[in-house]
Amino acid sequence: MRTRAAFALALAALLACPAATTKNLVEVRVGALATLGAREVESDAAATLAQLNKALPAYHFTLMTGTKAYLTAAVAAHKIDFVITNPGHYLELKIDYSVTALATEQSLDGYSSAEAVGAAVIALDRRGDLQRLADLRGARIAAAAPDAFGLYAAERELRERGIAPGATSPVFSGFPLDNVFDLLRAGRADAGIVGACLLEKRIAEGRIGPDDFKILGRRNDTPTPCATSTALYPGWAFARVEQTPESLGAEVARALLTLQPGTNDKAWDPPQDYGPVEELYRTLQVGPYAPLTRLGLADLAWRQRYGLAVAAMAAAWWIVHVIRVAQLVRRRTRELEEAHELARLKDAQMEHALRLSLMGEMASSLAHEINQPLAAILSYARGCERRLARGEDGAAVREAIGRIAAQAERGGAIVRRMREFVRKNPARQIPLEPAEVFRDALALFEPTAAARDLVVDFEAPERLPPVRADRVQLEEVTINLLQNALEAVEGQAEKKVRLAVAQEGARIVASVSDNGPGLTPEAREKLFEAFFTTKSSGLGLGLSLSRSIVEAHGGRLSADEARQGATFRFYLPVVEEAAHV
Amino acid sequence: MSDARMSDSQGVVSQGVVYIVDDDPALRDAICFLVGSVGYAARACESAAELLRRIEEDRPACLVLDVRLPGLSGLELQRELYARESSARIIFITGHGDIPKAVRAIRCGAVDFLEKPFDDQVLLDRIGEALDASAAELRRRASRLGLERRLAGLTERERDVLRLVIAGKTSKGVASALDISAKTVENHRHNIMTKAGVASVAQLIVWATEVAHG
Repeated sequence: MRTRAAFALALAALLACPAATTKNLVEVRVGALATLGAREVESDAAATLAQLNKALPAYHFTLMTGTKAYLTAAVAAHKIDFVITNPGHYLELKIDYSVTALATEQSLDGYSSAEAVGAAVIALDRRGDLQRLADLRGARIAAAAPDAFGLYAAERELRERGIAPGATSPVFSGFPLDNVFDLLRAGRADAGIVGACLLEKRIAEGRIGPDDFKILGRRNDTPTPCATSTALYPGWAFARVEQTPESLGAEVARALLTLQPGTNDKAWDPPQDYGPVEELYRTLQVGPYAPLTRLGLADLAWRQRYGLAVAAMAAAWWIVHVIRVAQLVRRRTRELEEAHELARLKDAQMEHALRLSLMGEMASSLAHEINQPLAAILSYARGCERRLARGEDGAAVREAIGRIAAQAERGGAIVRRMREFVRKNPARQIPLEPAEVFRDALALFEPTAAARDLVVDFEAPERLPPVRADRVQLEEVTINLLQNALEAVEGQAEKKVRLAVAQEGARIVASVSDNGPGLTPEAREKLFEAFFTTKSSGLGLGLSLSRSIVEAHGGRLSADEARQGATFRFYLPVVEEAAHV
Repeated sequence: MSDARMSDSQGVVSQGVVYIVDDDPALRDAICFLVGSVGYAARACESAAELLRRIEEDRPACLVLDVRLPGLSGLELQRELYARESSARIIFITGHGDIPKAVRAIRCGAVDFLEKPFDDQVLLDRIGEALDASAAELRRRASRLGLERRLAGLTERERDVLRLVIAGKTSKGVASALDISAKTVENHRHNIMTKAGVASVAQLIVWATEVAHG
């Protein structure tokens, strides 16, 4: 965002260049800091620019003036090629935007460019309580702006006198600096900070009475004739913005140093060492030396204020969006999990209910099935008693006892199969030999079929590759289909139900077919819907649950089109490793 | 001849055969073992068809039959045996108290209808009764067969005379009923005794009654 804004500004600047060019002159834009009134600055800077235009006729120097913030933005956006500013602002621009000083302004009286700028701490002359800087503890001190260079210079002096920045209350007047005089006159501040020589200049202009204000902490060790309360720092800088060609910078620098200024014109020296300004800033921890966050944020915010506003809005929107999405995702996930868990529980419950109902259908036949070994056991046992009573040789009796044990095991197996079938354990899919499972299912179902004089045809190869399945659920599906078939063939002259299992590629396909009346189109359509049933009894859950079970095994259950009767077919994928064997 | 027949009759009883028809091999085998433990000859059959192939109609037979048989069912087998005029007696065994089937079976002459698991003593008692009944049936048939053979040579007039004698008529009564002389009646009676091989008409009457009422 920031990069794009900067790029757009730079592009605009590039496009502006040729458009603004007149008479084949290359336009050179110079920005100047306005600490006094715009007109005053303009007259000062304009004099310099006029001289430059004369000295460098190939260029057309134009002037734009502004506040510190405005000039900083102009430098950042490369809207100006050179900047004329006070030593503090120059330092900031040098550090943040790599501007290079070409020349340093001489002090007004021409004494020095190295010690050209200072500040005067002034108070109304009638304030008898304010004689020294040390008297300013707890005072309201007026300055043009929080980042005014004069304020920094004065703050250092106050510090050296043991007055911390927090010990005074600042009052900001805004530019031009003359506002400070007004605040003092209005009694809204006890003392004020202005650039050195300004008071003298205003007195000379007759705008301020010679005895209206007094200087606090006036130093006598300075070479300047102006009263100053602070140390003196290098003068204003004429600096080249980084993107401006160095060759142009060199031409300008040469011109500045060889200017023949008039009496009131600014005079330029080779660039001074701005080290003392740097030291001042570092001591006060302001400007570029402010704790990083403060500077970084404030600076960035200014430089990219439009982009930032858009970025901030985008970010705010994005944050809201992210939070909303996160909330939505959380809620949906929770809902899904709940629904899933509920469905799983419900499925598990219904699946168990189906098994119980199937077991109910088979129970009496299975009781008969258990009765068979019991009757056999009883007959063997009584036979043994009688033979032993007759003193018969023990060989036949021993053999019979062995058969009793076998029959007890047979009964136990039936009970175990039944109990397993109605167990309520969670489903567990493990590799199984499918033919064995189908045989077991048939063993459970056969007594029921026999009770209705039906013999189920069973067809399965000797060996089949294993499938991953829950044994009981697989039996459940098979028995459910067999039960449906059994009910379908009721009343047929010759009942036929067939269970066939076969391998088809990587699948095991099982089908249950009957020679009943078949499926009506309506039944075929709704077959797998829950609660659809053609039977007078039954919930209509068998097929829908069977389909869920088969699908949970990665397979599919369907009803075939058949000319006679009905055929239900389901497949299960063969266990991967075995599929290649 | 009478002695020989009686001994023949005793022999038939001792040689009675118990057929156990059940599709469950274990139960089949177990019942055979139980039945064998009291000295009966026991034969196991898997199906009704196998029984029909193996049954010896000239020996007293008891069938221990599962009502629910694959193929020809127990009740169908009972009908088939009835149609063949078999002397075999049937004891049904069922897994369920299947009342309608039980009623039909008993009506068709089943000896009993036992529910699994059954009391061994009850089964063996019923088997004994069934074999006795079967043997009695065989005896009756044999008697009727013998009597019919003996009466086969009688003339029409001699049969008329015998019918009236059995009905309790005296020789005079017979003579007047048939409008023949008493002497002729006596001749007929003598011929009847000679042809039937009996010492007296009275014995003939006992035989005839036996055949008739078994």
